[in-house]
Amino acid sequence: MTPQSELSDQELLARIGRITWFHSLELRPGIVTPGAKSLAVLRREEEALLGPFDLRGRSVLDIGAWNGAFSFASKRRGAARVLATDEFAWTHPTYKGLESFELARAELGLEVETLQLDPTRMDASLGQFDLVLFLGVFYHLFDPIDVLQRMRAVTGQVLLVETHQDALEREEPAMVFYPGRTLANDDTNWWGPNPPLMLHLLRQLGFARIYYRDHPHYLPAEGSRTRGIFAAILPGAEPAMSAHFGIEWRDLGAAGAMRDFRP
Amino acid sequence: MSEAELRTAVAGHRWLQSLRLRPDLVTPGLKPEAQLKAEEAALFDTLNLKGAHLLEIGAGNGAFSFAALRRGAARVLATDHLAWTLPGSDALSATQWAAHALGAGIEMSPLDPRELTPRFGSFHVVMATACFDQLFNPIQALRGMRSVTERVLLIETLQDGLADARPLMMGHGQVLPIGGPEGSWVFGWGPNLPLMTQLLTDLGFSRVLYRHHPTLGAARGLYAAFLPEAPDGLLEGFHTPWINVTSPQAA
Ligand SMILES: C[S@@+](CC[C@H](N)C(=O)[O-])C[C@H]1O[C@@H](n2cnc3c(N)ncnc32)[C@H](O)[C@@H]1O
Repeated sequence: MTPQSELSDQELLARIGRITWFHSLELRPGIVTPGAKSLAVLRREEEALLGPFDLRGRSVLDIGAWNGAFSFASKRRGAARVLATDEFAWTHPTYKGLESFELARAELGLEVETLQLDPTRMDASLGQFDLVLFLGVFYHLFDPIDVLQRMRAVTGQVLLVETHQDALEREEPAMVFYPGRTLANDDTNWWGPNPPLMLHLLRQLGFARIYYRDHPHYLPAEGSRTRGIFAAILPGAEPAMSAHFGIEWRDLGAAGAMRDFRP
Repeated sequence: MSEAELRTAVAGHRWLQSLRLRPDLVTPGLKPEAQLKAEEAALFDTLNLKGAHLLEIGAGNGAFSFAALRRGAARVLATDHLAWTLPGSDALSATQWAAHALGAGIEMSPLDPRELTPRFGSFHVVMATACFDQLFNPIQALRGMRSVTERVLLIETLQDGLADARPLMMGHGQVLPIGGPEGSWVFGWGPNLPLMTQLLTDLGFSRVLYRHHPTLGAARGLYAAFLPEAPDGLLEGFHTPWINVTSPQAA
């Protein structure tokens, strides 16, 4: 894991400065990319998202990897193979996502593969991965049902979905549609599902158990539960990938699990 | 086909729709004849189907396809997905018997509307009843239907979330008498009116008309969505209780 970069600090800072960053990544001691998500936020997210899994020797597919924080975190946690994919942010003129990813990868000296491919075009030909990270992508899709089905096709053991959610006042499955720029003034936001809906969809796709936890920064105590994390486990998953859900997690299949989501 | 054979065939199938095959022979279907007649009138009295090419999605036992043919459609293609393809399904065979008994020259083919693309051809009228209620992915199915529609898409669907002003759809499951002997659990959706309007608009329909179901009220809804190419005259038959719910964005 030796940095392959030949850049001087000066040159590195200049290259960082040409990119709009989503993730804060410490590329060298004291050189951190200015991401919309801070280092501290990412650290808490990483623990919440990846904490339950023993990734050593396993394969990870990161969908919508953007600058790569969770791809790199998976590799550092011992994954044998990590494939980072994205298209929207990677080809975006100001986000320059692929360039940002490659810059970070070279600096960090981590062996992570890349594939420029939108999730709407993924299928089983990509192979199956022990853990699929589908973080912050569901609500960006006009047809998230189709893409969730595609995610099922590339999942070997566990699919991890992090998403904006809505309709939390309902115990029945529901998803809210956001035309145009209704949600956060962003016309790439389309849907807000509630946890009962995610349970139904994931079950229909063949996942055996679905665990839920609140997002570490959108906690009920802080007045909002507008994002949640779902771990969907296929029948026959190994214990290392399916048995370490702490008290923050609840089994959505358990009786009464849907009560108490009210905002 | 003798009368005895026909009666044996009727008794030997599970029926989704109650079709009058003879003055004194009605198939014992899940959906009553009176409801089918009311839906047929609500959907088809609005349009002149003479010479039209019509594609029906989720035809079940073909009640609406037979009705379209009676009303003068030149070409009717009846299709269904789950009910005609699940292992153990007998709905396609039942529909073939019904077409035979009625002497109705409709085409029949199993079809998943999610797979529709313009290469499939195009139809003046595309229609689907019990639409969202039986589709795992209604977004993709609507997109497919839109891609083969030349003028108007007619939808009859379960609705839900009607008290909510936000566009949304709610998940629903039901057991239908299709597939194996115990039937099959089918996952589907109940959209509300704002969602239907938005989705149809986003898919390129420029005018959307709506009415409540003729016998079940707001629990189910009927939609007629017109492409920009549809001649204005096509809307003339849509009187009250149809209302224009076109989204302002569509203009
Ligand atoms: C909110 S970011 C999440 C980034 C990273 N996975 C995380 O959780 O920090 C959304 C990601 O979804 C990707 N994406 C995929 N399809 C998209 C679409 N249709 N519109 C916008 N973003 C899309 C973007 O490229 C971006 O990487």
